[in-house]
Amino acid sequence: MFSENARKELEAILKKYPNKRSAVMDALRVAQNEGAGHITKADMEEISRVLEMPANEVHAAATFYTMYRVNKPVGKYHIQVCANISCSLMGADHIIKHMENVLRIKTGETTPDSKYTLSTVECLGSCGTAPMMQVNDDYYENLDEKKIDELLGRLK
Amino acid sequence: MEKVLLKNYGKPDSHKIENYILSGGYKGLEAAVKLKPDSLIQLIKDSGLRGRGGAGFSTGLKWSFIPKDPTIPKFLCCNADEGEPGTFKDRGIIDHDPHLLIEGMIITSYAIGASNAYIYIRGEFVFGTNRLQVAIDEAYAKGYLGKNIMGSGFNLDMYIHRGFGAYICGEETALLESIEGYRAQPRKKPPFPALAGLYAKPTVINNVETLSCIPSIVEKGAEWFSKIGAPKSPGPKIYCVSGHVKKPGLYELPMGTTVRDLIFNHCGGMLHEGRALKAVIPGGVSAPLLTPKDLDTPLDFDSLAAKGSMLGSGAVIVMDQTTCMVKSAHIVTRFFSHESCGKCTPCRDGTPWLTRVLGRIEHGEGKPGDVELLESLCTNIFGRTFCPLGDGAVMALRGFVKNFRDEFQFHIDYKRCMVS
Amino acid sequence: MATVKINGIELQVEDNTLILDAARKAGFEIPTFCYQADLMGIGSCRMCLVEIEGQKKLQPSCVTPVLHGMSINTETPTVMSARASMLEFLLANHAMDCPVCDKGGECELQDMVHKYGPRKGRHADAKFKFHEKDYALSPVIIKNSNRCVNCMKCVRVCREVVGRNVLTALNRGDHQEATSFMRTFLDCDHDGNCIEVCPVGCFMRLPYRYKTRPWDLKGVDTICTYCATGCRMVIEHRDGTVVRARAQMGVGINSETLCARGRFGYDIMNDDGRVKTPMIKKSRTGGLEPASWEEAIAFIKDNLATVDGEKLGGIISPRSTNEEAYLFQKLIRTIFKSPNIDSSVRFKADAVEGFVKATGMDEGGASIFDCMEADTVLIIGAHLSDENPVTDYIVRRISGSRRMNLIITSPRAMKLDSSASVVLRHLPATEGALLDAIILNLNADKIVGSEALTALKDTKLEAVLAEAGVDAETVKLISNKIAGSASVGIIAGTDFLRSPEGLPPLGLLRELLKATGKKLTVVPVLDRCNQRGVWEMGGHPNFGPGYSAVKAKGMGTEAMLDAAHSGGLEALYIAGADLVTLAEDEDFVKRALSKVGFLVVQDTFMTETARLANVVLPGVSTGEKDGMFTNQEGRAQVIKKLLPPPGKAKKDIDIIRAVGEAFERSFGPKNPALVLDEIRKEIGMYSEVSLTFKNKRNPDNELDNKAALVKGTHSDLKIGSWPRRHVAADPAFPFILTTGNQLFHSGRLSRRSEILTSLSKGAEVEISESDATALGLKAGDKVRVKGARYEAVVSLKTKKGSKPGVAFIAENYNEAPVNRFFKKGEGLPRVSITKAL
Ligand SMILES: Cc1cc2nc3c(=O)[nH]c(=O)nc-3n(C[C@H](O)[C@H](O)[C@H](O)COP(=O)(O)O)c2cc1C
Ligand code: SF4
Ligand code: FES
Repeated sequence: MFSENARKELEAILKKYPNKRSAVMDALRVAQNEGAGHITKADMEEISRVLEMPANEVHAAATFYTMYRVNKPVGKYHIQVCANISCSLMGADHIIKHMENVLRIKTGETTPDSKYTLSTVECLGSCGTAPMMQVNDDYYENLDEKKIDELLGRLK
Repeated sequence: MEKVLLKNYGKPDSHKIENYILSGGYKGLEAAVKLKPDSLIQLIKDSGLRGRGGAGFSTGLKWSFIPKDPTIPKFLCCNADEGEPGTFKDRGIIDHDPHLLIEGMIITSYAIGASNAYIYIRGEFVFGTNRLQVAIDEAYAKGYLGKNIMGSGFNLDMYIHRGFGAYICGEETALLESIEGYRAQPRKKPPFPALAGLYAKPTVINNVETLSCIPSIVEKGAEWFSKIGAPKSPGPKIYCVSGHVKKPGLYELPMGTTVRDLIFNHCGGMLHEGRALKAVIPGGVSAPLLTPKDLDTPLDFDSLAAKGSMLGSGAVIVMDQTTCMVKSAHIVTRFFSHESCGKCTPCRDGTPWLTRVLGRIEHGEGKPGDVELLESLCTNIFGRTFCPLGDGAVMALRGFVKNFRDEFQFHIDYKRCMVS
Repeated sequence: MATVKINGIELQVEDNTLILDAARKAGFEIPTFCYQADLMGIGSCRMCLVEIEGQKKLQPSCVTPVLHGMSINTETPTVMSARASMLEFLLANHAMDCPVCDKGGECELQDMVHKYGPRKGRHADAKFKFHEKDYALSPVIIKNSNRCVNCMKCVRVCREVVGRNVLTALNRGDHQEATSFMRTFLDCDHDGNCIEVCPVGCFMRLPYRYKTRPWDLKGVDTICTYCATGCRMVIEHRDGTVVRARAQMGVGINSETLCARGRFGYDIMNDDGRVKTPMIKKSRTGGLEPASWEEAIAFIKDNLATVDGEKLGGIISPRSTNEEAYLFQKLIRTIFKSPNIDSSVRFKADAVEGFVKATGMDEGGASIFDCMEADTVLIIGAHLSDENPVTDYIVRRISGSRRMNLIITSPRAMKLDSSASVVLRHLPATEGALLDAIILNLNADKIVGSEALTALKDTKLEAVLAEAGVDAETVKLISNKIAGSASVGIIAGTDFLRSPEGLPPLGLLRELLKATGKKLTVVPVLDRCNQRGVWEMGGHPNFGPGYSAVKAKGMGTEAMLDAAHSGGLEALYIAGADLVTLAEDEDFVKRALSKVGFLVVQDTFMTETARLANVVLPGVSTGEKDGMFTNQEGRAQVIKKLLPPPGKAKKDIDIIRAVGEAFERSFGPKNPALVLDEIRKEIGMYSEVSLTFKNKRNPDNELDNKAALVKGTHSDLKIGSWPRRHVAADPAFPFILTTGNQLFHSGRLSRRSEILTSLSKGAEVEISESDATALGLKAGDKVRVKGARYEAVVSLKTKKGSKPGVAFIAENYNEAPVNRFFKKGEGLPRVSITKAL
């Protein structure tokens, strides 16, 4: 359910558009940020009420865009390694293997302590600094094993 | 060449409005509001500017389709979805010089009579989104946005709309659907956005780089612009170079710079000494690849089209001799299949099929006839999809298969890779 | 007009004709999945690609209009290979489980692959699976997404036609799945139109599941009996059990659509509780006992031979066929020499006469499609969305596809509101005051027309606005829209029959609009399938066949019951009407009927009314007889027999004739065909009406068969004068109670459908959301509805946007018979609503 802050944010968002429905993507994002990195049925029902649009259409939007996670919680740090062409040319496979080894999980899994989730993603638009990955909102570029180990050391 | 688009790139605090103004920013806007919208549109037409988002359509012409009736609300949408793998130029502008884009958008809005402008930015660009929002706020504070801009009587509000992970949102009508809060599936055309776009109102959609060209055209004139680079697609162009080169990154060069010049001159040549260049994708993954024999092709819309490829987004991906073409083709095709919106049959059901076949070839499970199967599926998809995404997938794959057919066959026959 | 060439054949078509339609006109069929004539084109399945000379790419013919001079090829090798390839792609992502699929044998994908290839599937890899087991979306809908071809017709019909919008596609790419929110049970109209439009076995009927294969079915093309929209449908049985009702694309005014009642209410035909033999009650105190037909008829003859016609009455169900109704009124009028005949239980006879006149039914049929062609259409006195769902679909679909004003005025919010340009909520039973207000606005400066119109001058606008509980601005807006339109349509419903006070102003509005030169189409909306036909056959005390004048008006249902109650009715013959459960004031009816000297009830079930009878004659239900219905528009349509009558039950027309023959050998005509001939001869309105129907699939969706509309006649019917009744405010009872049909039922008949009963949530009272909030109540709460005479505990349903102070209980609940709240002769009752503990 939306917190007071989230409600305020949503109100500001609604001012951007001539209709309420246009705010659905932002509303889903706010819901996801508020709730453990994923979106629940209750979230979508609330958005449907607030934006006066059918719940099924909220759900449709939430499942069309890959950055929304419906009922798929992730760890505290969501590590997404780019596996598209430029990163692959520059050794993304190796980065992913290394990650799997260090975190001792397979791609797509979350560590038992719910700290890290490892995924691969399509191109993140940072191909000149490949290989790269995104951890939560931040980009980490020109990766190698050393950089990764350092970073994981910092992400506690 | 004097830089136009990346002139502030890398300078300290280049994103701040004071620095932008110090470097001569918002001069274009100042000049623009003194012109009539029609003369502005003519100016951009004269400059020969063609859209940098991929299709290379004349920007001035696109603007001129917008109805002149002042009672109809109009919209400008900036396409900052930058999803084409290999591309990172729009992000470069947004992160380093957001005001360049904003100024371009204000001028464009003035020219087409839009009083609301949206920037559709891909969701992963969190840093850039924040930068842009700060910059927009700065522009409001300085009176470049809001009511009665620079005393011209022109009003404009500018908003950011964040995507959330869908390449198809780069397709302009899908982008509109997305802003309206629907699943981003392309719309049927006609009606074209210029007549019925966002909220069914006349709308111009332009790429970040396109819009960023506008201030300097207004400031320095159409002729100046039209003299840069290739005559039929003039102007500066940002090339995004990635892959096996020494110095990957963004390069602003005159349109029509050759592949050879770009890679071996500007980018310092191949990453690993002694490894030969095998292939270059010249315009983002949708563009069919070029082989070393095409190194002297100028990177501009028409020259690449003549070679059966395209300039697309200007993303140049360089592959050396160690690159497995089956694997690369698999990655690229998987991307399209992952991003297919699901609307039309050939793309929705065809691209996953291609991906499956490529996957099994790559993993040594290919069957005799698989290359022919791929080709036949490509024929069945190409030209029959609802939007260009499906065609893009086919063009890319055909580039791989046509030029490296033996590598695919080797994978099938010997169940292993030929190069690695 | 544009001249185009299709495969070398030159032809002329209207501008903007779709290539697909032009090709069909030229005789070339183009296969489609996502195209459907009455849905907005999306051009996504790519089955319909064609070659246009001069264009590099193939183009989707379903969304591409022709241009003058275009040359189009639809059968070239490229086009044919494109078709085969689309099918190959669809199959690559298809479950391929035809042997266990309910759609097997009538699957468009199967048919198309058969016709266009590919001959051999090349897809050899594992497929994405949406789910392992089929899942139910409703008590009537079950889903298998692994078979989906992504034409999205389900989603589109739900949004564009049904107006519920509860289906959408989730995910994207080859994971795209058209389904419900979180794949959970739908809260919707359960009409299964999503099933009907599904070309494959993705959306399926749950009750029909695994029951049969299509080739084992026998069916007839007939008319639905659940409301007077008159939807055409095919009902099908296997080994005597009806297992399916379905609509047909391009057939009937409803095309592919039906409502839940039509599509799923067929199981009443399988109800085993039918009366299967005549029954007679030999002594006053004894019970009903089985008898032979000869005994029963003789018993009737013995008891009716001496009855004075004035003291005898006949009531026939508005669900009877025209042939039955005609013969029945002939029996009552000529054999029993009685003027007392009626076919409405719930409506006053004079109200019916007024309604016929005010809506101009006597002026002939009025097509809903013509009505929807108008610049402005006003819906008043009708809760279309619940009572006549398919009329609602037609209105939604057409209003969404053209520029027009749709005005909805009603006390309760309805689904159709979202299609309206103006919505106005007024108090119940104040249609009259509202229409007065509109007329006063239209006529602000100068009063034209008759005396009655002129007389309105003395009416104060403020007073009528207050009476209707509406705001001046909205009424002004409505009036302006009407005033600014060259053509106006009015859709007027049964609320005018329940509260006839609205009839005179309705008549005046018609008169005024005509006087000001507007093209006017009025479509009456009725809730019983053949109400109009039965009236037009003369099933009414005030008029004879074809609204002809009668020598003296007879007694209507109400008057007959009054007479019975005071012991003045010696005999009553009721054919198919369950008076007890339908008339206002149930106790009164029971008392009255038990005082009738000799009661004959002809029905299919042992109804409450039949229990009181001296003779029960087992008739047949709609699927067991042939005949003609006239829908609300005045469209005559044929119904067909699917099954033989059970036991000794006989066709009603044969029963009526047998009774007549008992008194006069020559009574007839002797068979239904001859009855029809006589109807055509005797009733001018029906003399030329066409009963032939294009039963073949009609892809152009040309639904308006005007030849089926009845002609106009001259009648001297009167609207009558109806003083306004005021429902006085009463703080102890803050709500005005109204009634009508609910979505899943029609009268009490449909209560016998197990499927329909499973859809409705049980007895409910509906109030506005704002009232509920004010009372601290929420939807689903158990509440006590208390009136002066009756109280019931039901669940609460809330509706956003309904008029505050209005409560609604549908007339279809056995567990909360709303008629018990009503008192004969009084207006709408008032009730209080409190939380039941
Ligand atoms: C599948 C697809 C993806 C696209 N992605 C982008 C994109 O990320 N950014 C962009 O500017 N244009 C993209 N385009 C092109 C746009 O549809 C559109 O042509 C462009 O934004 C117009 O701007 P321009 O005239 O300034 O180039 C894409 C087109 C397609 C078909
Ligand atoms: S080609 Fe078709 S399925 Fe693919 S993205 Fe475009 S519209 Fe969607
Ligand atoms: S029928 Fe034309 S694209 Fe589906």
